[in-house]
Amino acid sequence: MPEPSARPVLLEARAITVRFGGLTAVDAVDARFASGELVGIIGPNGAGKTTFFNAISGVVAPSSGRLVASGRDLSGQAPHRYAAHGIARTFQTPRVFAAMSARRNIEFGLRFAGRRRRRWIFWGEEASVPWTLRSADGILALIGLGNVAELPAAALTPSQQRLLEIGMALATRPKLLLLDEVAAGLTEAEIEEMARLIRRMRDELDLTVIWIEHAVTTLLRHVERVIVLHQGRKIADGPPAEVVRNAEVIEAYLGDEMAEDDA
Amino acid sequence: MNERQLFVRDALVLFGLAGWALALPAYASEFVVSLALTCLMYVALSSSWALFCGTTRYLSLATSAFFGIGAYAGALALERLPWLAAIALGAGLATVVAVVMGAAVLHLRGTYFAVLTFGMTELIRHAITYFEKSVTGTVGRVLMVVPERDTIYLTVLALAVLAVATSIVVRRTRFGLALQGIGADEQRAQTLGVNTRLIKTAGFALTAAFAGAVGAAMSVRWTYIDPPTVFNPFIGFQTVLIALIGGALTLWGPLIAAIVFSVLAETLRLQAPQVYLMALGLLLILSVLYLPGGLASIRADTAKGWWRDIRALYEEKRYEWSGEKARDKRRERERRLA
Repeated sequence: MPEPSARPVLLEARAITVRFGGLTAVDAVDARFASGELVGIIGPNGAGKTTFFNAISGVVAPSSGRLVASGRDLSGQAPHRYAAHGIARTFQTPRVFAAMSARRNIEFGLRFAGRRRRRWIFWGEEASVPWTLRSADGILALIGLGNVAELPAAALTPSQQRLLEIGMALATRPKLLLLDEVAAGLTEAEIEEMARLIRRMRDELDLTVIWIEHAVTTLLRHVERVIVLHQGRKIADGPPAEVVRNAEVIEAYLGDEMAEDDA
Repeated sequence: MNERQLFVRDALVLFGLAGWALALPAYASEFVVSLALTCLMYVALSSSWALFCGTTRYLSLATSAFFGIGAYAGALALERLPWLAAIALGAGLATVVAVVMGAAVLHLRGTYFAVLTFGMTELIRHAITYFEKSVTGTVGRVLMVVPERDTIYLTVLALAVLAVATSIVVRRTRFGLALQGIGADEQRAQTLGVNTRLIKTAGFALTAAFAGAVGAAMSVRWTYIDPPTVFNPFIGFQTVLIALIGGALTLWGPLIAAIVFSVLAETLRLQAPQVYLMALGLLLILSVLYLPGGLASIRADTAKGWWRDIRALYEEKRYEWSGEKARDKRRERERRLA
């Protein structure tokens, strides 16, 4: 694999700012996400992680700044345009369609943003879609929900719903997958499982993954690059080993956790 | 049953009902035919209402606006245009108004949407009243060219069948799936690639087109129209009530409830209009409390379930009121003390 700097940039956020009334939730954050990366975003409570995510997935229109996806300016457009350009996201609390079966939840994405006009297997647009993402069954097998496919989504356990949420995002056949706290509330073993799934998706499906997590230690073990947000500003951006040595990061975020560990 | 069998069943039921309604004027009395006409009007109105407003949960009270616009357009056009063209004009005009209105209010949800659609209905009604008074100098219009009763009946029947057929088909298309997604979680549907603004506007316009066409077809029945009659907010409310009581998410709910309603209306309204309105309110409360899925969600074991609930309540009360509960409690206390 070429060096990260040599790979094409998939999504570029230029000075993204989001204001809610007088509060600046995200303050002029710049970020570049190259194809094939696994990036983590961390930050203390209220650092603006989710707001930043909402801004780069189109759910919230940024007050200022530009968003460029593969050279195309998407700032201020509706979320379905982002989905059409291969940016898929999950939500912090699973937002599955409760009344539909798990399979239908997956098919929903396949029939909208994941729809390709030509269905040919060997040529046309469908040929560029990884094999796993061609059918609902493939996606269900990947996220490991094949045996509950016919149950209504409301009947699934919270951790299954979280997997389904990822499956729904995958069904849009994305290039960039945004995961919002997918490991929150899971047990240690489940978190490891989730991390393995995320790495696998990145490697097998040619995805770029951006992963927000509140539990820093888990995230730092698995990502290749980490962006630290604090009070809406980006204070660090680099490999986990470097970032944990950054004085500002330690003070802003890791500091209190380490202090707790010492006590 | 699989998808295909369900489709065939729905289509056959619709076909049978349409055939029966078609044969009705041949043998039934004048009264029954007029009852059936009201019934068909509400079938068309509430089926098309449920198609958009039921699945997406956008509670629109603007049905009477579209109905009135259709009625006025049809009535005025009938002097110059043939019957079907007048109906099409009514539907088209209502669609245009719905697209404009939708652009203004479809980004709102819940109460705000309901109140604003109602407000816009009133606005349109008063605007037309003002226009008639100040420009044309009339309060109402007498219709000179009126088609025969059978023509009106057939047209409204065709519209009702078309409304139910549209619901049958739309449920199975991407458009229907998008509407369902918007109803379940609009933002999620958007992030999965649904152009919600377009879909909502199209759905709203479809509902309006039906209401406009029905308005155009029904206006000629009154031979005299004025804004208070055709923009009657009660038409909009009743459409919503019928859809909700029948089950706004179901296909046959609006149809079943429309039949129940028109029979109730015709039998009660003349003798006791207050009782009719009270019956409406009571039905709505009962269906919201005990049948959230509407009349169409009644199955063979629904009544059994109610019976079980009543029996359980009765057993519990008997246990309490016979003094057995108090005795049991006292025994329990004595056992603990001993």
